[in-house]
Amino acid sequence: MSEHHITPLKTYLVIAGALFCLTAITVWVSYFDFGSLNIIIAMGVATFKATLVALFFMHLLWDDKKNLTMFIMSLMFLGIFITITLLDTGFRGGVNPEVEYPINKRAAFYDSLPLTDTHGNPVDEHGTDSHEGDEDHH
Amino acid sequence: MAENQKQNYLTHPKGIMSWLLTLDHKRIGLMYLFGGIIFFFLGGVLALGMRLELAAPGNDFMSNETYNNVYTLHGAIMIFLFIIPAIPGALGNMLLPLMLGAKDVAFPRLNLASFYIYTLGALFVVYTIIAGGVDTGWTFYTPYSTTSTSNVIPMTMGIFIIGFSSILTGLNFIATIHKMRIPGLTWYKLPLFVWALYGTSLVQITATPVIAITMVLLILERLLGIGIFDPALGGDPVLYQHFFWFYSHPAVYIMILPAFGIISEIIPVHSRKKIWGYKFIAFSTLSIAFIGFLVWGHHMFTSGQSVFSQIVFSFITYFVGIPTGVKIFSWILTMYKGQVSFTPPMLYALSFLFLFTIGGLTGIFLGAVALDIHLHDTYFVVAHFHYVMQGGTIIAFLGGLHHWWPKTMGAMYNQTVASICCLGVFLGFNGTFFPQFLLGLRGMPRRYATYDPQYAELHNYSSFWSGILGLSIFIAIMNLLWSLRKSNKLDPGTNPWGAMTLEWTHTSSPPHPHNFEEEPVLEHGPYDYDKVIVEPTFKK
Amino acid sequence: MSHDNSSPDFLQHHFHDVDQQYETAKLGMWAFILTEVLTFGGLFVAYVVYRSWYPEMFVGANLLLDVNKGLLNTIVLITSSLTMVLAVWAIQQKKQKLSLFMLIATFLFAFMFLGIKYLEYSHKFEVGQLPGEYYSYMGPEIAHLNNPHIFFSIYFIMTGLHGLHVAIGMGLIAWLIYATAKGNLHSKYYTPMEMIGIFWHLVDLIWIYLFPLFYLI
Repeated sequence: MSEHHITPLKTYLVIAGALFCLTAITVWVSYFDFGSLNIIIAMGVATFKATLVALFFMHLLWDDKKNLTMFIMSLMFLGIFITITLLDTGFRGGVNPEVEYPINKRAAFYDSLPLTDTHGNPVDEHGTDSHEGDEDHH
Repeated sequence: MAENQKQNYLTHPKGIMSWLLTLDHKRIGLMYLFGGIIFFFLGGVLALGMRLELAAPGNDFMSNETYNNVYTLHGAIMIFLFIIPAIPGALGNMLLPLMLGAKDVAFPRLNLASFYIYTLGALFVVYTIIAGGVDTGWTFYTPYSTTSTSNVIPMTMGIFIIGFSSILTGLNFIATIHKMRIPGLTWYKLPLFVWALYGTSLVQITATPVIAITMVLLILERLLGIGIFDPALGGDPVLYQHFFWFYSHPAVYIMILPAFGIISEIIPVHSRKKIWGYKFIAFSTLSIAFIGFLVWGHHMFTSGQSVFSQIVFSFITYFVGIPTGVKIFSWILTMYKGQVSFTPPMLYALSFLFLFTIGGLTGIFLGAVALDIHLHDTYFVVAHFHYVMQGGTIIAFLGGLHHWWPKTMGAMYNQTVASICCLGVFLGFNGTFFPQFLLGLRGMPRRYATYDPQYAELHNYSSFWSGILGLSIFIAIMNLLWSLRKSNKLDPGTNPWGAMTLEWTHTSSPPHPHNFEEEPVLEHGPYDYDKVIVEPTFKK
Repeated sequence: MSHDNSSPDFLQHHFHDVDQQYETAKLGMWAFILTEVLTFGGLFVAYVVYRSWYPEMFVGANLLLDVNKGLLNTIVLITSSLTMVLAVWAIQQKKQKLSLFMLIATFLFAFMFLGIKYLEYSHKFEVGQLPGEYYSYMGPEIAHLNNPHIFFSIYFIMTGLHGLHVAIGMGLIAWLIYATAKGNLHSKYYTPMEMIGIFWHLVDLIWIYLFPLFYLI
């Protein structure tokens, strides 16, 4: 096995550094609201990180390309699964708008649940108001 | 020769532990065969029980609840315990390394593990039967499967476990085909059975994980009410169908692709002619494997999925017909001007061509949304499915078993009996399932123990012929087993069909414990009947 | 090592040479990674579908998760990935001791990950943010939203399955520590370490997606 590719130590450290930086970036970005771009940014950064891990830590960059093909294939089939399922779930309302969402918008057991405070303890119905929309607050 | 006879994988090494802990792919293949045949028998008995109940309109023999259990167990056992593991597990394990000139599969220990995982899963299924069965149908559709009081959890647990066995076999075969070929055996010199196993293995490793996670979600839905599939909790039962069919439609190709591979081996050998369109057959295998992942929604045309996806699924479904047609025509052209000999394996292959073509063409009917809405959940679907799975896969499996029996067991069965049984299977099969097309067209729904008297005549025919079918298969298998008696040993050099793949030309029958005494050197392609003459030899 | 004509004791009988054995193991491992991606894939599909049906609820419910613990776990897991890859690097360079040290570090980071996960889970259990019908948290941030139990079902199943992989990975790494300490793995034969390494990076890779999906967006 003396012929195996040996990656220089520096490469690993640089990649790990990049992964830490990208983690910091994605957390930092999440404090701003870009609307629907939030998901795209978060997934874009995650995909970039995942690519680094796969290519360098998992050695796909230097490996037999069969292994890379296998990995890409897994993502391709996952893509097929998601896309084609969404062709159904995303377009159900086309003919009959009533069936656009799952039938029970709110499961019955919620009706018997008491309101709670943030520690999960039941509170008096009139104590806390349940309409607080402070979604940017972490 | 006399020395060779002492050294074969069946007799060396000896002792029960040498079988139970064997890493030899040939022995593992035989153990799979043994397990598969047991469940084939069990599933067959259940099927005959159903036909007995359906011979006349009323509840003559079973209650509705019993009938629900029987058809569920018939489906689940036949599919998960017999058809899916049988060809790759038994014939694939037995032949793949031999065809590649390898000493074993890539990961022999994983191979053994895969067999024991299969056994463990089978134990769960047996437990389900003892504990009183399960009545949801083999598809376990929600919401009924989340509310049914029958043994859904042990059954789905069993399927979850068997899935791992399937994954390990697929993974093993892929690594084996890529890495274990002898020098010179390039991709286009591989026997087509190997291509078929390759396509199957790809489907096994990509689709099976999804059924595993689906079964986990179903079990959790029952235990915790997670609300993913249960509409009362805000979930969506149709999503379950997407999950289930993302596996189970490709699983149809796990079942049929190896059968295609067997037919691609039998036809050129018994026609003594080079296969027509080698590359077409090889690549149509891969394209069927791929297209199989895009069409699962055609099982769900009446489920309430979006109209848009119905159109897409219906459209893509028709593409499956193209590579399948390519195969059928290639096989027919292979026989053209060949020296066709009507040996038992060839008779099975010819039955396959006929029955599978009917199965495939009726699939085209069902792929059309408008027609499917009429035919969905009727006996038309039952008949179509059985023409593909039994008329296709099981007939090919029996053909393959007859073709490679002298190789693997070193014994020749009574060919006359085998041919008569094949005829019995063919007639019995058509007699059983052709009336079901008519029943379905007339609106007889599946999964009912009783029916309107207007359907009685066709049901009666179907039941009568199912007896012939069952009996023929039973005698065919007994005929094979009877050939194993001591006085019936073949000469180790026997090549009864004059085949020219490595397992016939370079090792004894039954094979050497390490497959080949020395590594084979490739002299010709697998079907070079136009270049080399390999004489059939058949000596006691 | 095609130039080596002796047959070393780690070479299994059905392979020609060490290279064939190594390449085969690696291809098998990647086929296994494919199955892992699709196992988690099913759950990703569930996530995507339910997010598209309940967008406000998902945004509301993810605010209930503890970003700091999630971030800490991300850092822990990336670090463990680095130590794992360094363990392989060290054994390639014949640095047995360093390799052993890196493996132990990986094991400890994995343990830390599960510890943090345990704290997170126990808080969720306390306040009733549980999967499915066991869900009982009706705090002011979430009470007006529909079916948050589905979010927590998916959260617990995905992170639970991931946690199970971490636990299995710990078992495998423990075995590696044993094998390396005994000298069974060395610069000429470290295939198991590399394979388990690939598995461990996959665990990291999946967490790279789980973290933003559940904690950030």
